[in-house]
Amino acid sequence: MKELVEYIAKSLVDNPDSVTVTETEERGRVVIHLEVAEDDYGKVIGKNGRIAQAMRALLKVSAVRNECYASLEIGD
Amino acid sequence: MADVEASGKTVDEAIEKALEELGATRDEVEIEVLEEPRSGVLGVGGHEARVRVRWLDDDDDEDDDGDEEEKDADDDAAGQDEDAGDDAGNAAADGDDGEDAEDAEDEAEYAAQMLDALLEMMGVRADVSIRDAETPGDGLGMAVAVLDIEGDDLGLLIGRRGETLASLQYLVNLMVSHQLGEQFFFTIDVEGYRRRREQTLNSIARRTAEQVKRTRRPATLDPMPANERRIIHLALAEDRYVTTESIGDGDERKVSITLKSPQQR
Repeated sequence: MKELVEYIAKSLVDNPDSVTVTETEERGRVVIHLEVAEDDYGKVIGKNGRIAQAMRALLKVSAVRNECYASLEIGD
Repeated sequence: MADVEASGKTVDEAIEKALEELGATRDEVEIEVLEEPRSGVLGVGGHEARVRVRWLDDDDDEDDDGDEEEKDADDDAAGQDEDAGDDAGNAAADGDDGEDAEDAEDEAEYAAQMLDALLEMMGVRADVSIRDAETPGDGLGMAVAVLDIEGDDLGLLIGRRGETLASLQYLVNLMVSHQLGEQFFFTIDVEGYRRRREQTLNSIARRTAEQVKRTRRPATLDPMPANERRIIHLALAEDRYVTTESIGDGDERKVSITLKSPQQR
């Protein structure tokens, strides 16, 4: 699932080398944390959070397939 | 990609009309106000607001041929049955020399690969194939190509009212456009979902138009996203007796079907 978020983020930003994705598990819930270069946050969040929302929708499909819960956090 | 000009009583109204024609939302486009509305004296000398709306482009190409593209959009609205042709470039609308067709094939190939990679990472086993856009629901006149996803049990990928599919299409278009440095639009379909939805919408449009003619009373459909409202507008664009209009805001926006006055026919 980390791989999915990383692939999407790297395709959207101007500085793919600055994309960092970590995956942690807290009581059966997977938390994916995404950080990008300061100037790139708009590119992974989008107006009214639309891009972030779309990434969450795809992450959800992935989570259902993996039979787990997953959430996406962006930035600090 | 296509840009669209529209007019309306207010700038907002003109923008909404143009968005509908494109099947886009406000944050996907660049809006240029060509003319502010002006009210005339006793109905003389006034004019409507005019705007031009185009798909958002990372590096602003200013040399688009607006007129020609507008014509494409008009053809589209007239519901012309374009020959499906053999090359993927056919649906790309602008420019029709062989080179562009080849480029479009490359772009479609690139988009299909990206979609394939995404599906694999999502744990979805499916095949992606490329075909030309043939109907308004395919994004004819706007989409470079349609990417069809086929597999077993893909309802999850469509989501409630097609929302997950909409997210997938939105992201793939953003990713491909960013990677290739130019705005591209692809329609993504899952197991013919959009095709079936388009048939349903066409029959809703026809049935409701019949009802409006019979009862001589306007009717309003359920709220729909922009691409679906566009299908309704196009389905009834040539109807002699009724006219369509979108009303309401945001998620509540819906199509209203009314009888034309005898002068409008």
